[in-house]
Amino acid sequence: MRTPLRLYALGLAAAMVPFVLLSHDLFWLNILIYMYLFAGLAVAWNIIAGFGGQFSLGHGVFFAVGAYMTARLYLNWGITPWLGLIPGALVCAVLGALIFLPTFRLKGSFFAIATLAFNEVGFVFANYLESVTGGPRGLQVPFRAAWSNMIFADPRGYALLMFAFMAVCVAISIALMRSRLGYYLLAVREDEDAARAAGIDVTGVKLRGTALSAALTAIGGGLFAMYVRTIDPPTLFSLPDIGVKFALLALIGGMGTITGPVLGAFLIVPVESYLRAVLGGEWPGTHLIVLGFVMLLAALFMRHGVAGALDSLWRRWRRRT
Amino acid sequence: MDTVLNVLVVGILLGGIYGLVSIGLNLIFGVIRIVNFAQGELVMLGMYGAYLAYTMLGLDPYVSVLVVVPALFVIGLVMQRLVIQPLQNEPSMQIFATFALLILLQNVVLALTRGQGYSVPTQVAGMGLELGEIRIPATRLVIFLAVTTIAVLLHLFLMHTLAGKSIRAVTQDRQAARLMGINVERTFTVTFGIGAALAGLAGVLLAPIYTLSPGIGGNFILAAFAVVVLGGLGSVAGAYFGGLIVGLVEAFAGFYIDPELKQAIWFLIFLAVLVVRPTGLFGQVGAEEVGFREQG
Repeated sequence: MRTPLRLYALGLAAAMVPFVLLSHDLFWLNILIYMYLFAGLAVAWNIIAGFGGQFSLGHGVFFAVGAYMTARLYLNWGITPWLGLIPGALVCAVLGALIFLPTFRLKGSFFAIATLAFNEVGFVFANYLESVTGGPRGLQVPFRAAWSNMIFADPRGYALLMFAFMAVCVAISIALMRSRLGYYLLAVREDEDAARAAGIDVTGVKLRGTALSAALTAIGGGLFAMYVRTIDPPTLFSLPDIGVKFALLALIGGMGTITGPVLGAFLIVPVESYLRAVLGGEWPGTHLIVLGFVMLLAALFMRHGVAGALDSLWRRWRRRT
Repeated sequence: MDTVLNVLVVGILLGGIYGLVSIGLNLIFGVIRIVNFAQGELVMLGMYGAYLAYTMLGLDPYVSVLVVVPALFVIGLVMQRLVIQPLQNEPSMQIFATFALLILLQNVVLALTRGQGYSVPTQVAGMGLELGEIRIPATRLVIFLAVTTIAVLLHLFLMHTLAGKSIRAVTQDRQAARLMGINVERTFTVTFGIGAALAGLAGVLLAPIYTLSPGIGGNFILAAFAVVVLGGLGSVAGAYFGGLIVGLVEAFAGFYIDPELKQAIWFLIFLAVLVVRPTGLFGQVGAEEVGFREQG
């Protein structure tokens, strides 16, 4: 059964509520910016991993390439990030198809580990290619506030930008799930052999899904670069903060659904950032202890994520009335 | 000639370290088919166990093996029962849960030690073998001998004991194994315990070489995954020789190409092997074809 479009519109409007309530507070505004950005990124990851069943742990590469390209184009040739996002997305669509192509015959854990290796290769090369990436010192984007530079004096601009990114990712996911490619992806996830027997070009479907997912992830990376304005390899290729984070958010929210990844980001990012701010200074690592514990409980007691738990609650309630 | 020999020795000793941290992971990965991200943290716990045994009981790390390894075996049993077993039919959630364990263990240790680095002294530290120009530190030689012994013993255990045979049966086909009357769940638990104990052993033996830090597991885990895939899923010989290959490649690439690129080079080799021969050099053909869904 399709969810009507107006419900999604309502959901997006609800997603604006925290912005309206909290945007006057700079501490919370920073958290909201990350929340919207990572919601979009989790939705992008979910396209190939949730719908297509290809559990990628290598999306950090696309994120990093998008970040470096956007920053480089702006720094060297003064190309506005609004346009600079596009080459990054295109490059990553091709790159994603190229590097995932040899790994698609692997399944399950093997695919996850192979894609994880891409992240490590990326990290080593990002440190090595100093002329492009700035090496271990990274790239710094000077603060020159202007709309055309995608640098805002008022951080609310970033929040709206990230919100728009999230909305675009969600819209693309909705459109995808109503398209032929979306049904193909689901078929491949459910049973590859059956999909092939039904005449689906399995590899082609995986490649198109990857390209779309990688391109959106690259755009997210570019936006991240313009917000933090300092990017270096340890940040961009971090597994718990970037590469595996997309997967964690989508899993905790509910993989393979449209709302799940968004819910995951809306729950975890604020909790994590808040705990980091409150506990991080006093006792290093305690916020991550809490987070690890929450994740463990979520894995054990919400097998299908928040979206799955809400769905079964809703069904039970419907049956009773 | 001497430099080549020197690089060769460095590579083999490094390979011993990689082999040692990979053997336990390979057993778990091969039998239970899960990506145990927390394996590096079990090695880390083994290291801190050696430190505790030294400060509280005054034990030399090579003696504390007798305490730490059984402790890690128990920790492994508990982890498997409480976290891995309940998620048996949810492979992506298992990955997620072991990642949560990684974050949890790392930061519990970080909070307890407040991030201070420790080192564990041993009587053996200053000793070594001199072969002409080449010097082999005793601490590293012990590791190489240990991994060789363990590989042989584990191989004999898997080949000739009933428990070992049931582990192999579960690896090959868990449905058929169940029909033959093997308790699959108990085999999983024991396997995970052995895997954790081997990680603990690796930790104790590595403790004299490294400065202990909560995040040190990350140094080993990716190398260990590379070794596992390179060598072959669930194959003892695979972990052993895979470790040696990775160690040698790293030593030679670091010396002759560029030290900064050495990791990239063995990762690229790893990817190449994964693509050309996904079963690994010693693995059983077809193992990689078993995806998430067919696990049941």
